[in-house]
Amino acid sequence: MKDVHPREIRVRRRVEGILQTLFGSWGYTEVEPPTFEYYSTLEKVIGKELKERIFRFVNREGRLVCLRPDFTTSIVRMYSSKLTPGEQNCRVFYDGKIFRYPASPFRTESELTQVGLENIGVNNPSVDAEVIALAISALRKVGIEDFSCDIGHVGIFQGMMDSMGYPDPLQEQLKTIVKRKDFIDLDYFLTLHPPEELPMHSLLEEFPYLRGKKELLGEFQKKISPNRRFQEAFERLSRIWDILADFGLEKYLFINLGLIRDFDYYSGVIFEGFSPFSGSPLLTGGRYDELFGVFGKDHPACGFALFAERLIEVLQQSGPVKDDREKTIILSYHPSLRGEVFSLSQDLRSMGMMVLISEDSGGEELLRVTLNGRLIFTGIPEWIALRETIKKEITNG
Amino acid sequence: MDKLTLSIPTGRLKEEVLELLARMPGWPASCNLNTRKLVFEDECLPCRIILSHPKDSSTYVEFGAADIGIVGKDILMERENEVYELLDLGIGKCQMIIAVPLSVSHHVFFNKDHLRIATKYPHITRQYLQEKGITADILSLYGSIELAPTLGLADAIVDIVSTGKTLRENHLQVLESIAPVSARLVANLISIRTRMDAIRHFVQQLKGVIRNE
Repeated sequence: MKDVHPREIRVRRRVEGILQTLFGSWGYTEVEPPTFEYYSTLEKVIGKELKERIFRFVNREGRLVCLRPDFTTSIVRMYSSKLTPGEQNCRVFYDGKIFRYPASPFRTESELTQVGLENIGVNNPSVDAEVIALAISALRKVGIEDFSCDIGHVGIFQGMMDSMGYPDPLQEQLKTIVKRKDFIDLDYFLTLHPPEELPMHSLLEEFPYLRGKKELLGEFQKKISPNRRFQEAFERLSRIWDILADFGLEKYLFINLGLIRDFDYYSGVIFEGFSPFSGSPLLTGGRYDELFGVFGKDHPACGFALFAERLIEVLQQSGPVKDDREKTIILSYHPSLRGEVFSLSQDLRSMGMMVLISEDSGGEELLRVTLNGRLIFTGIPEWIALRETIKKEITNG
Repeated sequence: MDKLTLSIPTGRLKEEVLELLARMPGWPASCNLNTRKLVFEDECLPCRIILSHPKDSSTYVEFGAADIGIVGKDILMERENEVYELLDLGIGKCQMIIAVPLSVSHHVFFNKDHLRIATKYPHITRQYLQEKGITADILSLYGSIELAPTLGLADAIVDIVSTGKTLRENHLQVLESIAPVSARLVANLISIRTRMDAIRHFVQQLKGVIRNE
C-alpha cells in the first residue's frame, strides 16, 4: 500500500492531462470500465501467472468478482456487443487504476495508474504503426527524450515452437521458462528435449540478444527454415518499420525478436517503451485480434498502456520536474482591506496563479505580499500599483 | 560508453567469483577488493564493481543499481526477482533441502498431526509445502537453523547444504532435496537492452572461462 503525497499527485495529474489531450487530438475518446469485473470475464483470457495476482472476492449474490487487473479485457467486453463487423476504426482511451498483487513477496505496490488506448476494428500495418507512433509521441510529450521502443511479434516465438515440434505440455513448460527469463533452466530443458530443428537451441540461447535495427530481420531469416508464422511476422514487422521510418521515428525504434509479453491474448505485433532511468518498461502494448473471439465476436484490435508512476520516476531522475506550486502568492491583510483583497485574489487566480489569503488583524502592517515564500512588499502604494497593472492585464486579455 | 556495473556478493562466494574474473581476458590477475570500500571504480577493472550483501545482489540488479550481478539461486528462488538469469557459474554449489532429526523417518514425519519448520527461506518453504499439500507453521530464523530441531523448536528445517557436515554434527538427515543451488549471473531487464553488446561480451568471456575449467 502506498500514500500519494501532494507533489507526486500534482505531477501525475499533469502527466495524465498531457496524455489525455494527446490521445484526444488523435481522435480517441475516453471510456471508463468498472473497477470491478466478474472473474469469469477475465478467467478466459488471462495467463496462469497473472491469475494468481488478481484481487478476488465473493459478492452478495455469491458470485466471484475481482478488481480489474488491466483495462483491455474490460474494454473488449464493453465493445464486443456494440460493434458490427466491418465498421470503421473505433478509437478509445482510458485513464485509471489497475490492481494486482505484487509480483514478488518483497514488493508492495498493488495499484498502478494506467493511461492507454485501444484501436478496434482494423488489422493492418498502418494501424499498428499509428498506435506505436502514438506511444512514442506520448513519451516525448510528457518530457521524456531518452527512451527506446522495442517492437517484436508473437509469431517469432510461436514460429520457433512450430519448428521444435514439441507436444503441448512441453510447449507450455518451455513458454513458462522463457517468460521467467531463466536461460539456465532453458539450457537444461533444451538438452533434455532436443528440438527437431537443431539451430533452434542456439537461437533460443540468443533470445535476450535478438535486438537491433531493421537489418536484424534479414539476418535472423538466414538462420531459420521459413514457416508460415515466421513469414507473417517478418512481413508485418518490416512494413511497420517502414511506415514508422517515414514518420521520422526510426531513431526510437528497435526490432526485438526476443520480446515476450505477460498477457497470453496478444496475437501480432508487441512492443515496449523503456528508458535507462527505470528498471521496468514505461509502456507495453500489442495487437490482440483473438480476444474479441472469446466474447463471441470477431474484431481485430491493437493498443497499449503507459504506467504513469514509472513515467514520473523517470521524469524525476532525469532532471527537476516542473511543479506548478512554485508560483504561490500569499496575501496577508488587515480586515479593513478584506473586500479589496478578495476581489484582487480572484483576478490573480483567473490569471492562473495560486493565491492564498489570510486575514491578520494583529499584524503591524496593513498588508504583506509573499511570492514563493519571499516577501515582495508591505506598503499600500505598491499594492495600488499592482492592482492597476492587473486591471490593465485583464482588460488587454 | 560507461563501464558495466557488476554486483558481487560478499561472503563465501566472493573469493571464488574473483578467481573466475581474474581468468577473464582484460581483467587484472588479482583484484584486491579486501578494503572496506564497497564500490570499486579502478581504471584497471573492466567493470565498475559493487560489493553487496549476498541477499541483496539480485535486488540491486532488479532495480537497476547494477547492470549485472552474481547471486545464489537460493536467493533468486526466495526473492523471485525479475531479472534475466544468463549463466550458471558452477560455483557455490549446494542443495536446498528439508532435513529432520536422525530419529525421524519419512513416514513418521509426514504423519505428524502438526508440523513446524524452521528456515531462513520462508517463501521457498511455503511454496514447497503448498506443492506437497502440507500445512505447517513456518518459523523464520536468521541463522544456526540446525539448532531449532535440537531444541525441540521445530520438526524440520529447510536450508542449503553443501557437504552435510553441519547436518551430521547436529544429528540431522536430509529428508528430501528441493532444488540444486549454484551461483548465477543475472542481468537487469532494461540494461540487457541498453547495454546489450557489453553484457553479451561479458557473458561469452565468462562462459569461456567456465568451460575451460
